[in-house]
Amino acid sequence: MNKTRQWILHRISAIVLAPLFFWVYFSLISLSTKNYQEALYFFKNPLFLVLTIILFFIGFFHVKISLSEIFEDYIHNKKIKDVANILTLILSIIIPLITLVLLIYKI
Amino acid sequence: MTDNQNPLSPHLQIYRWHISSLLSITHRISGIVNLFSLILLFFWLVVLSLGENNYELFLLVINSFIGKFILIGFTWSMSFHILSGIRHLVWDIGYGFEIKTANISGIIVIASSLILTIIFWLLGRGLI
Repeated sequence: MNKTRQWILHRISAIVLAPLFFWVYFSLISLSTKNYQEALYFFKNPLFLVLTIILFFIGFFHVKISLSEIFEDYIHNKKIKDVANILTLILSIIIPLITLVLLIYKI
Repeated sequence: MTDNQNPLSPHLQIYRWHISSLLSITHRISGIVNLFSLILLFFWLVVLSLGENNYELFLLVINSFIGKFILIGFTWSMSFHILSGIRHLVWDIGYGFEIKTANISGIIVIASSLILTIIFWLLGRGLI
């Protein structure tokens, strides 16, 4: 990806994530005091379901860019850096996809 | 390419600590902690899909001392990373580079992240 575009997308994803993270943390703290049925009910709400899915996809997109920047600074060996980047890429695609399937079919 | 054995940046062992450097490295560390908090949320959903018994057990762990400690820590890390991120965005627009301004905004970020964590916790747990 073009570095300038990557820089801009990194900032945009950050702006989208900030309110989502505030929301999800408030919800998690609140869910920790509630039972199974209420948690199920929470994630079945269409709006909350969509927000959670967006959080995962954009969150891991942000993670992917951030981690490559960190690898760039701290890993000097090119081979290890490439492997680390590929593993991050795989992780940041698979986890949101599993979340999508879980939320739509299992919960 | 041969491995370079020189210490890697940001040379944490060498420089004297300043608010600017402290916040810079904490921003990165809290970002990585936030990755783990996303993984916790993922795990939360996995357990939820495994049924009531598993979820009740998970709630017991979350509401134990260690569970609360982790959840509060994650809340702080998230608050800090977002507030510090806003500070970075302001820099990206081109403001706030003077040393005095940067130091003050740094202190504001630290203080508000702590206050925000407390407010989140009290509101979320229904204590206020």
